Amino acid sequence: MKTFEEKWTAWLDDQLSGKELVDFEASLPDKAAAEAEKRDAQKLGALLKEQLGAQAMSNEEFFSHQLRERIGRETASQDRYGERSTWWTVRRLVWSGAASLAVFVICAVFVLRDKNPGEQSQYLTQILNARVDPAVSPNATISMFETKEDKVTVLWVEGLQSLPADYAAK
Amino acid sequence: MRNCAFFVAASLALAISAVDSINAAETVWSGLVMAENVSRPAPIPAELTRIEETLKELFGYNQFQVIGQSRKTLKTGEEDWLASSKYFALHVDARGETEAGYVLNLKLFKEQELLLEMDTKLNKRSPLVIKGPQVGGGQLLLVLVVQ
Repeated sequence: MKTFEEKWTAWLDDQLSGKELVDFEASLPDKAAAEAEKRDAQKLGALLKEQLGAQAMSNEEFFSHQLRERIGRETASQDRYGERSTWWTVRRLVWSGAASLAVFVICAVFVLRDKNPGEQSQYLTQILNARVDPAVSPNATISMFETKEDKVTVLWVEGLQSLPADYAAK
Repeated sequence: MRNCAFFVAASLALAISAVDSINAAETVWSGLVMAENVSRPAPIPAELTRIEETLKELFGYNQFQVIGQSRKTLKTGEEDWLASSKYFALHVDARGETEAGYVLNLKLFKEQELLLEMDTKLNKRSPLVIKGPQVGGGQLLLVLVVQ
């Protein structure tokens, strides 16, 4: 047994027929007003169907376009990553490391071989030559060295004639 | 265009100042220093502060006093000067400038007598210390520092 609302909705949608239609229309208190309302409802339905149908189509295309683009981007980036990752294989990494190490060792050997340990550093004061008068100080000896802490170059003269304390005067 | 001109001018100024600083005159301090052991040592002279520990360790004295000194500003690198005390004189003859310092000829005199002569390349960052004769209970040292 259909309620009045169900029959009303079916009537608006032209879904009633035969005896059911006749009975329902007879039960309407103001048939003219009901017909006017039915026309308005049908117009509104047509309008909504037209508008919503167009929007739904537009959204669908938009989302579909977005999805296609995203899939395309992800596929492309996966392809690029795949290309890079294939070049740096473990084997190539090992060979690259070994080659770098070999270059470093060769450079280190050359640098160390060029450095003469007996040569005075250019960052320190160098003593080119030193002499004492053998007539004045016949037993004098001269040596030189550098202190690493504060880069002091020292000329060490031993055997100079000792002098009395008076010579310390200013 | 204005920015470009400003950049060029600033670069030029920097370059000129860099060249100028390279050629800036430097001062060589030369000192006759008496090293002694005393019960109450006087404070070390400012010129020797940097190498105080080295002097104490090397020579074993606790007091270092300047008995003669000279501070010479080198402009051409060809100057000569004298640092002297009552009995000693250190004659320094600069014979040119190198990239790292100066070529110097040093002569230590006791009154008129030449005790020691040497040639050295004095580095701007490396002081030179020369052990001289024993004087009384102490030791005469010659020190040269580029300041």
